[in-house]
Amino acid sequence: MTGQLAPEFPNIYEIWVYLSGSPLLALILTLGAYQIGVIVYGRANRYPLANPVLIAIVLVAATITLIGMPYPKYFEGAQFVHFLLGTATVSLAVPIYKGLSAMRGRIAPLLAALVAGGLTSIASAVGIARMLGADSTIVGGFVAKSVTAPIAMGIAERIGVSPTLTAVFAVSTGILGAVLARFVLDAVRSREWWQRGFAIGVAAHGLGTSRAFSVNAEAGAYSSLAMGLHGVLGAVLIPLGARLLGL
Amino acid sequence: MISGLVQILLFQGLGELVTHFLLPLIPGPVIGLILLLGFLALRRSVNASLDEVASTFSQHFGLLFVPAAVGVVMFWPHLKAHALAIAAALVASVVLTIAVTALVLKALSPGSLE
Repeated sequence: MTGQLAPEFPNIYEIWVYLSGSPLLALILTLGAYQIGVIVYGRANRYPLANPVLIAIVLVAATITLIGMPYPKYFEGAQFVHFLLGTATVSLAVPIYKGLSAMRGRIAPLLAALVAGGLTSIASAVGIARMLGADSTIVGGFVAKSVTAPIAMGIAERIGVSPTLTAVFAVSTGILGAVLARFVLDAVRSREWWQRGFAIGVAAHGLGTSRAFSVNAEAGAYSSLAMGLHGVLGAVLIPLGARLLGL
Repeated sequence: MISGLVQILLFQGLGELVTHFLLPLIPGPVIGLILLLGFLALRRSVNASLDEVASTFSQHFGLLFVPAAVGVVMFWPHLKAHALAIAAALVASVVLTIAVTALVLKALSPGSLE
């Protein structure tokens, strides 16, 4: 080291190579972007458009594009965060259990709303996409999109449509639902937290549930219940429906 | 905190086993959720450690979607040809689904007389 060029950074290239070879960079990027998202969300008084997950996704996507990191390389490191998605799904049993006694008298309206919402989701997406001239591969991707992504992909395989496309539409739906829910719920004058939460969970699964929990605990519990029920019922009924309709 | 995490991981593992050998259609974590729910219903209580882990997870559930969702963002340019139809279908469908679900709940709930 002669120290002529920025002696405090003797070999930044080697540091980059070292960091990008370990999961550290992807983890720092993911958690750092989410942290920024949470701060902005808090400053914006939890305004839906300042959704912390949306901010984190945009920041990470922009950063890895900028530094030329291929997505598989990023995911290699970020997979540790991704893995916990399964663990967190299991832990949703706790808020559901705690809300269970309050749900007892509401089973019938909840199930009716779930079926109505689930059918609306499929019919509207498939109908609009067909009307606007999307081809059948793309239309197929819409069938299971309101179900949480891992279940949606399983359903897609069963009914013979693209699991990747289904996952893309499911995650996009989740983000849109988390951002738009408040405006829609205010517009239809839904006032009870449990009804608002359940509607978000039916339409926007996990990402909607995340938004619901950040606003109100009761809404979060109902949203996770809706997501779970929609997932289980969807896994059974969507392949059955597809067969009956001859799709 | 640790004992709660161990319980959750055990149920996740149990769920994976059930999925693998008995019910391939439903993903492991969902089975794990149902089994844990059944366990809690039998015990009629949630211990403090489990509660702590679960509330941490539910507060930051969204973070866990980031790695997968970044892939989705990177995938979107491939859909350019149909972008308009897809975006319209996604937005309209999510708005209608939320509205219909909320309206059905409101109409069928005994407490909500308007």
